[in-house]
This record gives sequence, structure tokens and C-alpha cells, in this order.
Amino acid sequence: MTKQKKYWKGLAELANDPAIENLKHNEFVEKIPVDDFLGDGETLSNTSTSRRDFLKFLGFSTAAATLAACETPVIKSIPYVIKPEEITPGVANWYASTFYDGNDFANVLVKTREGRPIFIKPNDLSSAAPNARVISSVLSLYDSNRLKGVMKNGESVSWSDADTDIKDRLSSIDGDVVVLTNTIISPTTKSLLNAFSKKYAAKHVQYDAISHQGMLDANKDSFGQRVLPSYHLDKADVLVSFGADFLGNWLNSSFEKQYIANRNPKSGKMSRHFQIETNMSLSGSNADVRIPVKPSEKLNLIENLYNALKGNAPANDKIKDIVSELSAAKGKSLVICDSNDKAVQIMVNAINDMLGNYGKTIDLTQPSLLRAGDDNAVAQLVQDMNDGKVGALIISGVNPSYTLANAEAFNEGLKKVSLTISTALSMDETSTNVEYVCPDRHYLESWGDAKATLNQVAFTQPTIQPLFDSRQFQESLMTWSGDDSDYYTYLKNYWRSKVSWSSSLHDGLVELSSDSLSVSSFSANVNSISSQANGLELALYQSNSIGDGSQSNNPWLQELPDPITRACWDNYLTISATTARENGLTNWNISDGALNGDMVRLTVGDRVIENVPVLIQPGQAIGTLGLALGYGRTAAGKVGNGVGVNAYSLAIDNNYTLSDVKIEKVEGEHGFASVQLHHTMMGRDLIKETTLAEYIADPKAGNPDLLFDTHKGKLFADEVSLWKEFDHETGHFWNLSIDLTSCIGCNACVVACHSENNVPVVGKEEVRKSRDMHWLRIDRYFSSDMTEEVAEEQGLGAVSKYKAMEVPSENPDVAFQPVMCQHCNHAPCETVCPVAATSHSAEGQNHMAYNRCVGTRYCANNCPYKVRRFNWFDYAENDAFDYNMNDDLGKMVLNPDVTVRVRGVMEKCSMCIQMIQKTKLDAKRDGRKVLDKDAQTACSIACPTNALVFGDVNDESSEVRTLKSDERKYFLLEAINTAPSVFYQTKIRNRKA
Amino acid sequence: MQKESPIREPLILGNKSYHDITVDVAKPVLAKANKMWWIVFGISLVLFVWWILSVGYTIGTGIGVWGLNKTVGWAWDITNFVWWVGIGHAGTLISAVLLLFRQKWRLSINRSAEAMTIFAVVQAAMFPLIHMGRPWLGYFVFPIPNNFGSLWVNFNSPLLWDVFAISTYFSVSFVFWYVGLIPDFAMIRDKVNEKYWPLRKKIYSILSFGWSGKAKDWQRFEEVSLVLAGLATPLVFSVHSIVSFDFATSVIPGWHTTIFPPYFVAGAVFSGFAMVQTLLLVMRKVVGLEAYITIKHVEYMNIVIMLTGNLVGIAYLTELFMAWYSGVEFEQYAFLNRATGPYWWAYWSMMTCNVISPQLMWFKKLRTNIVFTFILALFVNVGMWFERFVIIVTSLHRDYLPSSWTMFSPTFVDIGIFVGSIGFFFVLFLLYSRTFPVIAQAELKTIVKSSSEQYKK
Repeated sequence: MTKQKKYWKGLAELANDPAIENLKHNEFVEKIPVDDFLGDGETLSNTSTSRRDFLKFLGFSTAAATLAACETPVIKSIPYVIKPEEITPGVANWYASTFYDGNDFANVLVKTREGRPIFIKPNDLSSAAPNARVISSVLSLYDSNRLKGVMKNGESVSWSDADTDIKDRLSSIDGDVVVLTNTIISPTTKSLLNAFSKKYAAKHVQYDAISHQGMLDANKDSFGQRVLPSYHLDKADVLVSFGADFLGNWLNSSFEKQYIANRNPKSGKMSRHFQIETNMSLSGSNADVRIPVKPSEKLNLIENLYNALKGNAPANDKIKDIVSELSAAKGKSLVICDSNDKAVQIMVNAINDMLGNYGKTIDLTQPSLLRAGDDNAVAQLVQDMNDGKVGALIISGVNPSYTLANAEAFNEGLKKVSLTISTALSMDETSTNVEYVCPDRHYLESWGDAKATLNQVAFTQPTIQPLFDSRQFQESLMTWSGDDSDYYTYLKNYWRSKVSWSSSLHDGLVELSSDSLSVSSFSANVNSISSQANGLELALYQSNSIGDGSQSNNPWLQELPDPITRACWDNYLTISATTARENGLTNWNISDGALNGDMVRLTVGDRVIENVPVLIQPGQAIGTLGLALGYGRTAAGKVGNGVGVNAYSLAIDNNYTLSDVKIEKVEGEHGFASVQLHHTMMGRDLIKETTLAEYIADPKAGNPDLLFDTHKGKLFADEVSLWKEFDHETGHFWNLSIDLTSCIGCNACVVACHSENNVPVVGKEEVRKSRDMHWLRIDRYFSSDMTEEVAEEQGLGAVSKYKAMEVPSENPDVAFQPVMCQHCNHAPCETVCPVAATSHSAEGQNHMAYNRCVGTRYCANNCPYKVRRFNWFDYAENDAFDYNMNDDLGKMVLNPDVTVRVRGVMEKCSMCIQMIQKTKLDAKRDGRKVLDKDAQTACSIACPTNALVFGDVNDESSEVRTLKSDERKYFLLEAINTAPSVFYQTKIRNRKA
Repeated sequence: MQKESPIREPLILGNKSYHDITVDVAKPVLAKANKMWWIVFGISLVLFVWWILSVGYTIGTGIGVWGLNKTVGWAWDITNFVWWVGIGHAGTLISAVLLLFRQKWRLSINRSAEAMTIFAVVQAAMFPLIHMGRPWLGYFVFPIPNNFGSLWVNFNSPLLWDVFAISTYFSVSFVFWYVGLIPDFAMIRDKVNEKYWPLRKKIYSILSFGWSGKAKDWQRFEEVSLVLAGLATPLVFSVHSIVSFDFATSVIPGWHTTIFPPYFVAGAVFSGFAMVQTLLLVMRKVVGLEAYITIKHVEYMNIVIMLTGNLVGIAYLTELFMAWYSGVEFEQYAFLNRATGPYWWAYWSMMTCNVISPQLMWFKKLRTNIVFTFILALFVNVGMWFERFVIIVTSLHRDYLPSSWTMFSPTFVDIGIFVGSIGFFFVLFLLYSRTFPVIAQAELKTIVKSSSEQYKK
């Protein structure tokens, strides 16, 4: 027997204290008086629990049991186990980044919430402001059609297998190795491409979906450098654009700021803007003088201008003013042209040279590096592919199977290339034809650098963990080149020695030590460009929302109406009313108001597109057609597939103007999704406008005081008002000023609002039913030949007058007017809501309490501005609306600060109350007043021209306060006495009387 | 016993004794339904089912299944609402106003007119509920003390006034109707043979509240009727005035019109009488009440229709004049657009049905012709529906900013709810005609000795 170990509980036990022995037998040290309590029947009957006590106990225990039974709702959110240092739930983080997709370039700030990018705004340090597409790019990040990993012939494979295979085959390949990319502006990518080229003797071909070959080559011939110049529109007092839609998509170089900088009527001076163009473009609609011409006539006019300036020929009547004004503004003028023909661009260069604009309004020493594509190299590549000379082709950032006019030849050639690799983010048209798809990362998941000009570098930094098993193109290049380090380290090492890394990354961009290009003086043969075209002429253009079509699968962009036609979810042939009549083509409204139109078979040379809808467009030059590129995608994804027709197939040899075009009416009709069905102001005073000369003479020109006749004489609206005024003297009084002179109608605000406020996308059919949900819209009005004066002159009756007023002029004046909730201080909506779901704030806003709303729609009916939007269906959580809100991935873009509205409630602009609240809270926390610059709304942030100015009019130093007392200020529909918190500034055109 | 001029035409034809009246009125209730009744009831039931499905689909899916849009937020829903409320005006007018004016001819028609009122108001009341985006929160419109904080209804909103106006009108009309029914239910109770119909006996006993026909009963009956008539009379005018405020207090051109209250009341009486005509002309034939609902009754109602039709016509012209006289371009355009814009056909349908066609009533020959009266009554019903459609849709579809102008087109759900509501109405009315005494026989008997043909001889 082993000796039992003896354990003792304390020294007292070891010492055998009898007290311990006692305790061992006695569990309770003190006797519990059970017997005293229960044993004595008499005591027991004497103690009493009163009925009251009983009920108390009963009540307490029932309540306790009930409470215990109630399960707290389970919210499936996982808290951070270790909170990342920089993330505080509920507080946004902002990162500076850069967008460049070969088409658009912008320096941006990215708002992230709990690690998700949700909003993109301009980086104020830069002039490259994001347009609608760049602002929308945050949604493209959450595109559910993105690839989740590497694909080989449509099958999923692992990165390591793919890399091994690719590397093996690259090193033993027969024929050329070619890397086909968009214009590369990233210095590190360039050096990685060099390394790759060195290793595999690869060729690098740059390809721009929208070619700028003509201009690049013209500059090469004229000045010895194959670059695009940068422009200074702000220094140009006379601006003549031959078709270049610089406010739209021409060069995508953020010209809006420059343009508006020289068009401030307050300064007493505005640039004179002439636009000679075929399609009604955004620039044309802002021009002081717009001359619609056929593309062929445009060339003749350019030549005529050249000759007239030289003194060789008299100026054509159409451009007489242009010639004289240009001659008077040498060195302070600018002539630009959208032609992709070298000869034309050389002539334009010659004109600018004659006018002495180089070095003044045009800068070649600091060129724009955004386009460097070489169409000849691409054509050669297609040829080589078909000849079997190419062994491996790596495609990045471009989608040639879609954007090439000779896409069939390219696709045929692809079959003859033994190794084809695409780095597209999704299975696009090109990816479906290649062997390997090695998905690149979205720019919001990527590192990168961008040198849009020589003297500045901008950085892209990731704002979210990569969503899928993707890899940056640069890193793929490194891997395939045999470099196993990562791109981030490479990038950092590359720039560390040149710039201050942390601060550059923080700012998003940094100036480089002045580096400039040396150019020779103008020396090129100016050849005649005059042309004679037959038949109808077609001008291809990029639409404002879809651009080159790379973001076709973005529902925000598809639903973003074109600023001119106001149609979305489509492309169509724009045609003038006269030409339409000649060809027997019409547009009409069906019983619910939706716009329908005829369809045609479009024939250009040997290319035929069937069933192209025709949209009658005021301002379209007679005898011409317009058609937007970027549509007709077949492999964009669930949103973009099958929207419109592909016009790239017509752009043979990258010619975007085509003659001898035939249209033939075909059976059937097409339904347009147009958000504005009526195009004129019907003689109403909605957009007040005047000319610069009149404005200088009288700042109140075009904006006379509105007075009401009363028995006391003429009185202002507020003097005859029946309303009991709110007190808007104390506290904040938020107002928004909208300058119609600087608003160019670019749509950036519309998309920013969409993004910030979780506005649902409703799809084409619902838009056709006039149920678009945009909280902010930009009304576009065309002028009509019929005015009150004309009617009086012709002695027309009211009926025929109004009928004629509905018809826009053939070459109308265009005016844009952003309209959102006007936040009336005498709000018609507030008085009629039976449940007070919409009510007024002490700070001048009109609130909407969604959870109180029962959806009578009375407020929307009684809104004179028709800005209220009703949730006809459940737009979120509804398979019938298969857009971002009904997609686990797409939902990540939702702004957690803004409610996603349920069906059956009314919604509308809140003046970004969530942003105001944040601003106020920040100020309160810091113990200071709200700063004027901090008070912003999504639209005012996004506006590249500062047309939208938001602020507190009770703040003496605020900009909006000054604007409110400006002579140009007016309220929309002032006669109804709604006293809005939103006001407009009259539109001023620099037009000769 | 009251005296009546012998030259007045009799209001009861034939040699009807008190007993004959009892038998005639009780017959539809006690006898079996004929084939015609079943056919009409069957059709109505099918339409009612369509209504249920359409309403269910709307509530289940969203208001988007209707044809409304961002510019036209109300269309058939509120058109139907106002139309039914308007129809619901005749009953109370006939029984209350004509009672106060001691118009004895009301006695043959007041019961059915009131029934029609009740059923029409039921239809009307459905629309404000189902037109809501979230009808399950419809109770928000009642000023119920709640724990949502300081939330309270908005007493500035005409929609809230509607809630009060309609519910008050419905309650008072219902009570008035019911009080009138008590002696007649008692009559049926007494006619039902308990041996064969024990349940019926029981039901009618309960419904008749133990009416015993004592002098005291009659005295109380008369007093209550008079008091209720006094209460109901202002309601006849207030309900549609308040309904018109939905439009009149707004800022929309074509809605913002001060003449709306009297104009709407006239229109309501107009459409209400037309509906009474439509129903009674059929009923007198089917149930065999020609002796009680005479040509004279028809003529009287036609005169009311003509009068109110002309009032409505004057209102239309006044609107046009005021639009021109105001000098406000929005107003002018709104009315010009009604008459010549895309909805011109609706405007001219309204004008034809409501203003032009009632002028034919100036001819005695026509206003005493049953077939003509019936067709005209249908015209007026259609015209008054169009009136509301014109007011609502043509004013909204082109208001202030041309950028928002659009059109409205109904979907099959819109149509289903409208046509279905007519089915629902007829289901109720047909059930009523088989179970209720359709003529206020107890009261009618009071004029047998003064206004019946036999005593006038």
C-alpha cells in the first residue's frame, strides 16, 4: 500500500483544532431558524402577506419572468475583435486616390465607412474633378458580375497554377509577346512593362478606345512631339470649338472649372464661346453662339477660317463674327476641334499658331499625357495576330473585342494566338474570347500612380480589402517577369526617393520638380481639308453618362439621363425635326406619356445596324445624325447587356464622322426612357436670363422684382403673404444658391446625390412610366420660335400659341436648371400631409419622416416643383429590381447614414441633412462655430463649377449669404409665395443684342 | 292627417290599401328571388371578386401596379372616391332636406336612396384607405393618443378633414337610415311566419328593437327623425365642401379654386340623383313598385337633376371665366389645356354629359319618359366621373414646371378596382333589396289618405 498523502485545508486543521472538527459536521455555522419560523403554527398564522404584497410579488415575478422570456433581437453583426486603430464605427474615413481608366482622369477623395468605400468627391488640391462616371465608379467596385478568381477557358483555376503555366509558356513561346493596354500614365507600370518586355522581348501597344490619333500625329508633325496639349480655357476670351465637346467628353480633362473661371458676370467680363457642331452637345448647349453644321461643312468652315485669318479669302457668313472676334483677341483666344483627322488638326494648330495662342492658351510644354494610343500599332497587331506572328497577347484595361471597329478580325486573330490573357475585372467581350482571365483589381482596391502631366504625380491607394481573389495587373506583370516582391513595395520604393511618400499619399498628389517638354515651333504643311460629302452624315459621340462604355454595367450611370435628350437606358440616332420629316420618322407619346419612336436600319458603307431607334433632337444639324458610343454591350453584365446598339462597329479607321449614311424605316417602334417629356418653358418665367451687356448696365436685368397689385398699391410677395413666418433669424438657416450661369448641366451633382442618399435605381420600364427616383434632376429647356411677342405680332389665339410653344426651335437656346426640393418656408406639402410626416425644421429645411408617412401622395400633388418621389414598389429587397440594392454586394455601397426607404413612402431631397448634422456635431465637439466651408451637400461638393453653393445665411461670412442678396437672385415660381430655401441666380449669356 | 291640394298629382297609384302596401313592400323580402336577381347578383359578385383581387394585389405589391407616376399622384383612386362620395349625397338630401321641406314625394324613394348613400359611402371610404402607400398604417390619420412621442395628426390637412367629414357623414346617415327602418323591420317581423322561418323571425325581432307601434313609439320616432334630419342636413353640404377642400386649398392650377365647395355640392346632388334614378328605375320594374315610384317621382328627380346640372354648368363656365380674368398664366393654361390638351376628350365628355344633355330635361315629354330618363341618368353618372377625372388628372399632368409634364394611363388594376367597386356596391344593394323593406312603408302609409290616387279621385 502506498502511503496516503495527507492534505489539510489550513494550519488549524493540521493543528487539529477542535473547532475545525466541529465545523466539519456543521455545514451552517449559525443555526437557521427554520423551526422558529415554520414550526410554530401560531407565529405562522400571525405573520401575514397582505393581498397588496401578494399582488406586488405576483406582479414582480410575472414581470421578471416576462422580461426574461423576451429575447433580445439577434443582430448578425460581428464586432471587431481588435478594433483597427483608424476605424471608429460611425465615423467616415477619407482617402485620397486617383481614377484613371484610359478615358477619364480625376483626383478624388474616397469616403469609407467601416471599411467600405461609399462616396467619391473631388480632391480640392487638384483641378481634375470627378465627372458623373468617376463618382459612380464606387458602385462598379461592388459589381456582382466581377470575376471571383482566375479563369482558364471559362473554368476556375488557382493563381499559382495559372502563373506557372503562363510563365512556362511565355518563355518558350513562338512568335511575339504583345501587351495591349490603354494609355499608361503610371511611371511604375511603365517600368514594370519595360522589365517584362526585356524578359520576354515583348512589345507594348497602347490603345485608346476613343482614338485621338489625329491630334497626336498633328502635334508630332507640327511641333515634333506626339502629345496632347493642355489648355487654359480660363485665359481664352474667345473660344471657338469645332465640335469639341470639352464640357462633355472631349479629352476628359476637367475643362469645366477653367471654362467657368472666365465666365463670371460679376467680373464684368465673360469669354465668348462659339460652338460649331453637328450634334447638340453639352458644350454647344452652353455656347453663346451655336452654329449647327454638317461634319463636312465643319471642315470647310475650318479651312475658311484659316484662309480668312490669313487674309486669303473672305469669311463665310456663318463665321464672320468668329473671324473678327478671333482677330481681335490674338493670344487670348482658342480654337479647338474634335476631328480625328491629322490634316484637320494641323490646320487647327496653324490657326492657333496664327492667333498666337501657343504658350498662352495652349501649353505644349506641359502636355496632357492622358492619351497616347497608337492606332497604327493596333492595326498592325490585328494584322500580325491574323498572320500568326503573335504568340502571346496580354490585354489589360481595354476591351478591343467590343471597342474595335474591326472586332471580328481581332477575334479571329485571337484564335491564332497561342496564349491569350486578359486582366479584365469581369467576363467582358474580350475576356470571353481569351484563354486566361487574370482579374485585375478595381482602382479602389489598388495601389497606383498616375502622371497626367509632367509636373505632377497622383497616387491611387486601396480603400478596401480586395473583395475577390484578384490581383493587380502590375503584380501579375511582376510575377510573370519573375519578380516575387509585391507591387506596393515596388511603388513605394520607386517614389520614396523622389517625393515625400506619406504626405503625397495623404494629399493624393504631389508636384514634381518642374519638368517640361521641349517643342519646336510650328512647322507643318497645311493641306486643304475642304470636303464634299454625300447623303446623310453621322457623327458618333460619347454619351455623358456611359462614355466609352467601360462602366456599362453600372446601374447609376445607365439610369442617369442624358443632359440634352433627357433619355436614359439607351442610345439612339439623334435627328433634326426636318430630316426626320423628310424620312417619314416620328416620335410620339403613348397614353401614359412615355416617348416612343420609329426605328431604322442604319447603313454605313458595308456596316448595317438593325432597329436603331430615332430620337428627334432640336439643334441637330439638318441632314445629320448622331449616335452614342459605349452602348450595345453583349458581355457587360446583367445591367449593361443589350442596352442600345454598338456604334463602335461604325467607326472604321477610327473615323467618328461618317458620310453617305443611309437610314431606312423598319417595322416596329421603340420605347425611350425619357425623364423629361416636354422640352420648352411654354413662355413661363422659369429660367430668367439676360445678356452680359444688359447685366452690366443693370444687374437686375432679366430679374425684375415681383410685385403684386393690391389696394395698397404694388407690394412684394412677403407683404401680401398670409403665412405666419418661421423664425429664421436665430440659429442656422440653410440655403442653397444655384447659379444658372455656371451650371453647365454636367450631371455630376445628380450622381453624387444618387450615391449619397441611397436613391434607388428603378430600371427602364419604370422610367418610361415617369417614375424615376432622382431627388435632384437637371431640367433642360429648349427655346421655342413661338413667344408671347411673336404670338401677339401674328395675332395668334391662345390655343394655337400654346400649341406652337410646345415645339422647340430647330437650333434652340438651351438652359439647364437643377431642381431638387426647394425647402419652401411656406411649404405646400407640409400643410396637406394628414399625419404631419413632412414638416419644417427650425433651420429652413423641409423634413420628411419616412416612418410616419402613410403614402397619400397629397404632398407630391401639391408640390409645384414636382420634386417628391414616391416608392411605388419595394425597390430594395425586391427581385423585380435586380440592381445594386437587391444584391448582397451592391448593398455595400449604401450610405449607412441615410435610411433606405420602404415602399409606400414619399421621399425627396433632405438637403443632405445627415451631412449638416455631422458638420454641426463636429463644430460642437470642437467648441467652435460651423465654418462656411464645412457646410456642404452632396450636390454642392460634386459641382465642378461651384454653381451650387450651400451654407448658412445667418452666418455673416458665408458665401451663400452674399449670394442671397445678389441682384441676380430669384426664387423659382416666386408668384406662389412658397418662399424656398433654394434660390437661383439668373443665367447670363455673352450674346450680342 | 294633412291636407293636400287635389290638383297635385297622386304619389301612390292604384287603389292601395294599407294592407296592400304592407304586402307589396314585404314581398321581395319574403318571396324567393327571381332569375334576374340571381344573374345580376352573380355578375356583381364576379366584379366584387375582381375588386378583392385587385385590392389585394395593390396592397401586396405596391401602388406601382396602378398607372400613377411622379407627376400624377392621384388619378382613378381619388376620382372614384369623389365620385362615390358624390353619389352618396342623394340619400341624405332626399330624406333629410326634403323632410325638413315637407316634400312628401320623398317617401317612396328615401329608403333606397339612403341605402344607396350608405353603400356608396362604403365604396368611397375604401379609396382613401387603399390609395395609401402603407394602408396598414392607416390608423395614423386618426387623432389617437399614442406613445410615438409628440406625434399628432395635422389639423391643417384637408385629408384629415375628410376623415372627420366622411366618418361623421357615414355615422349620421347610417343612424338616420336605421331609425327609419325600425317600424318597417317590425312590419316584416310580424309578417314572418315563425314556424317556417324561426331564424328570420329572430333576426328581424332584434333589428326592430322591440317596436310595438304604440303611440309613444311613434312620437319618439318622429322626434328622432326630425332631430337627425336637422343634424344630417348640414352634413349634406359639409361633406362635399370638405372633399372639395382637398383640391381648393392646394396650390395647383385647376384645383386652387374658391368656388369648389358649392360647385362640388351641386355636382354631388346631381350625380346622387342620377344614381338614384338609375337604381330605382330598375328596381320599380323588377320588384314591382310602379305604384309607389311613379312617373311623377321620376319627373321630380329629373327636375332636381336639371337644376343641379345647370348649377354645375355655371360652375364650369365660372372656372373658365376666372382663369381668364385672373390673368395668371398657369391658371389660363390649365383650363385651356383641359379643353384642348391631350385630355380634351375627357373634358368634352364631361361637358356633354353634365351640361348639354340635362338641357333635354326642359321638355316635359322627355323628363317623363322612363327609358330616356334611364339613359340620361347613366350619362350623368359617366359625366360626373369624368368631371372628377378632369379636375384631378388634367390639373396634375401639366402643372407649373413643363419639365415634369406627363400623362396618366390606367392599368388593369386601376380598372379592376373601379369596376370592382361598382360590383361591390351592387352586391350590397342587391342583398339589401332582398332583405330590407325597400320603401319606407310605415311613413308612406301616412300619405295614403292625402296623396294616393284613390283618395284624389
